[in-house]
Parts: sequence; structure tokens; C-alpha cells
Amino acid sequence: MILPPRGHGTRQDRNHSVVNSTVHLPPSFSAVCRLEIRIDSDPAHIAGVRREVERLALEAGFDAGRQADLGLCVNEALANVMRHAYGGALGKPILIVVEYVPPAMRIVIRDWGTGENPAAAPPRPYDPLEPGGVGLICLQGLMDEVNYEPQPDGMRLTLLKQQQPGAT
Amino acid sequence: MTAVNSGTDLIPSAHCDGDAMMASLCGEIDLHNSSELRDAMFGVLLKHSPKKLVLDMAQVPYMDSSALAVLVEGLRNLQRVGGRIFLLNLQSRVRGLLEIARLTNVFMLVKDEQEALAR
Repeated sequence: MILPPRGHGTRQDRNHSVVNSTVHLPPSFSAVCRLEIRIDSDPAHIAGVRREVERLALEAGFDAGRQADLGLCVNEALANVMRHAYGGALGKPILIVVEYVPPAMRIVIRDWGTGENPAAAPPRPYDPLEPGGVGLICLQGLMDEVNYEPQPDGMRLTLLKQQQPGAT
Repeated sequence: MTAVNSGTDLIPSAHCDGDAMMASLCGEIDLHNSSELRDAMFGVLLKHSPKKLVLDMAQVPYMDSSALAVLVEGLRNLQRVGGRIFLLNLQSRVRGLLEIARLTNVFMLVKDEQEALAR
């Protein structure tokens, strides 16, 4: 089954653009679903991307809790890019590629910011009453894999979430 | 009881009763609008100086860490004067965020306004 309205081609709305998306969802969910989303660094775009990720996870058969985990983590990852990699500057490019490769969802977030690796920062004891750190805790606690790959001109973050607990 | 105007749709209703302020939050809150929540919340806290802030979260289906940071900042400010924040009617996604941020024992989670006022 191919879902034509959002399956192929380019779609634009006021929040973000979804380009080159290919969505194949046979009843067995055995095919690859892929979304490529380009936004600029404006917090107004975060919710739209989160909803796209949650929609794809729903269509791929992820349960409600895992849809929510994926949505929250893409939200937190994008917020970190905007606040830290781009230092709050608006209008900087961010590319999000979301792929359902059974039995997992993989989200790649590419930015062209400072290239600072949050995972390489010296660990500090977590104090819930001190600001900062919750976003990274979400990623590390809710995703099955979190991989920061510094690039010559920025950062590439890959998040992986299995569809079922304990799946490999 | 004194009605409080927060000036934002994120806090559509609020009122003071003695040293307690009851407020309802509304909507999805993320980095885009968490600063609006912060400005409104600190505006009413500064103006009314409650000891107890009771937040009804029934109409908040989603929030991210930036919204959570606003609540934590509010809590820290209230704690300086011996105050507390009570949360009620948490939706599952918001409760999940509180759990992963280890904040369920930091805020007072209560089942209704009466329980908050009695504690």
C-alpha cells in the first residue's frame, strides 16, 4: 500500500517542508518508510516535526508509549540544536531524516552549527532542581541508541528506537 | 477569592484564595512558547506572592523540558519563601516527562485542589 497524499513528492506548510518522502506501508510493515524534513532553526517548527515523527510511528505500528518517546526525543534533540549548536540564532538549516527500517525507527538530525558533542561533555551529577540536562537524559533514557557524529561543518545525531522492547 | 489575569492563553484561568493560587494551564508547551509561560507565571507570582501554587494540568497534553524548566524555576522561587507547587490532573505524557526527569517527588502531586489546600 502506498499512501499518496504524504507518500511522494514535496509538501509544504507554514511550519516545515517534507521533501523526498517515500512511504510504503504494506500490511506486514516490512518495507522502508522514509521522511526527509527540512526546517530552519526556529522553535515554532519543533511541534510540526514532532507530530510528523509521531504520525509515522503510528502508521508503522509503534505503540502509543513508543510514539510518544520518539516525539519527545526529536523535540529535545531539535531544541538542543537550536539552543546550543546554533546558540539561539534563527534561520539556520536543520535536516531531519526519519526512516522506519523494521523493526526500528531511525532518526538522523543534521545541523551545521558548532559541532559540539553533548555526549562528550564531562559528566556531572544530575540535580533535578538545577537547569539543563533533561533533554539529554530523555534521549539516553528513551532511545535504544544515541550516536553523535561530529562533522567537519557541524553535527550528525542518530537516534534509534526499536518497535518492541528488547528487539535487536 | 480573587480572580487573576495571567495575560496568556497558556494560563486561561487563575485565582487566589488566601496564600494559595490556583491556576489552570492549557495547551502543548515547548521551546516555542515556554518563555510565554515563564513570563506569565512569574508575573502573577510576583504580583500575588502565594505560598502555594496549585497547577491544574488537565489541559496540557504535552510539554517538553523547556516547559518543565519553567515549573522548576517557579518551584525554586517559591521554596525560597517556604512555598510549594502542587500539580494535579497530569496527563500521561507530562507525567512520563516528570518521571524521567526525577521530579515526581519534587513537586507535590495531588488528586484535587482540596488535597493541595489541606497540605
